[in-house]
Amino acid sequence: MVLDIVLAPMALAPKTFNVGETIRVTVSFKYAVGVNTTVRLLAGPYYSNIFGKHVVSTCVGRADISLTAVSTPTPQTTEVDFLLVPKANGGIDNGTYGLRVWIERTNAVAEQDNVIIVSGNPTGAFDMSGILPMVMMLMMLGMVMPMVTEGAAE
Amino acid sequence: MELKTLALDLGVIRVLQAGDDQPYQAGWYVDPITGQRVYYDPETQNFYTMAGGVYIPLGYMNPAPKQVAIAPGEKLRITISYKYSGPAITGAIEYFCVGVYGALGFDEKLVGKNTKNLPASTTPAAYTGSYTFTMPADVGSNWDDIYCKIYNGSPSVPQNLFGYENALVIVGKDPTISEFTIADFVKV
Repeated sequence: MVLDIVLAPMALAPKTFNVGETIRVTVSFKYAVGVNTTVRLLAGPYYSNIFGKHVVSTCVGRADISLTAVSTPTPQTTEVDFLLVPKANGGIDNGTYGLRVWIERTNAVAEQDNVIIVSGNPTGAFDMSGILPMVMMLMMLGMVMPMVTEGAAE
Repeated sequence: MELKTLALDLGVIRVLQAGDDQPYQAGWYVDPITGQRVYYDPETQNFYTMAGGVYIPLGYMNPAPKQVAIAPGEKLRITISYKYSGPAITGAIEYFCVGVYGALGFDEKLVGKNTKNLPASTTPAAYTGSYTFTMPADVGSNWDDIYCKIYNGSPSVPQNLFGYENALVIVGKDPTISEFTIADFVKV
């Protein structure tokens, strides 16, 4: 018996980028619309966890596209850029991300997991950003508690 | 104004035999081919399946072999074909419908009818019928399903239905996007 199995290659191959770089995404689609209109194309990286998929909102790029009225589905190719904002600026961490592209207020969405590998954020130094709020709370508590205990003693 | 067409084949139909050929009494039946339990309603002359307490007309809807894009004000011609053999029939009704097909059945938005007389024939003779709709200004973007049927007449023909899901792409003020794919992504 011969198993005739064809493994289709991934539509997109993973690529590595450094934070601070801009990624240009090219999308193709067909559209039809009754009047000339403008739609907004968005693109950005996303990560997945047990709660679902989450777009890294600080890295989302936008582009407005003009569509001329056509009544039959017409091919269109267009581009949108987005910036990999470094984590230090509230952006993206090192790691592997999916790529999502969508058109606002339509059902047009395309995405693929694990195609954007991000590096370039400093990893050697001890990262205080995660525990900074807790440290500040402890410091405030340390300042307030003596006042409270003095008040109670009086 | 561009005229766009869709074609459906209703297959072979026959006349109901007077008296003893009322097709079914109301009630549940078992499809001998699939084993599926189906309910027949003589008022609508339809078979139904039941899912979640809802009676759903038995599968007369099919995936559309093609899609026709159409805008408000444009004309849509639906053409049906079928074959008939039997006694002469007067007043059979060809019924054309555009609407929204869903879990609760077909929500008819646009309806057109033709009356047809079919001459007597001992061998299946081919017929066609068509109806042209003008899409209204307020056409909904989800009015993308169509179905046709032939029924009634004297003597009566049993109802024959056939439809296509997602047969139309309604071109309104909101764009309809399809085949949306990421072609490439690169550093710039």
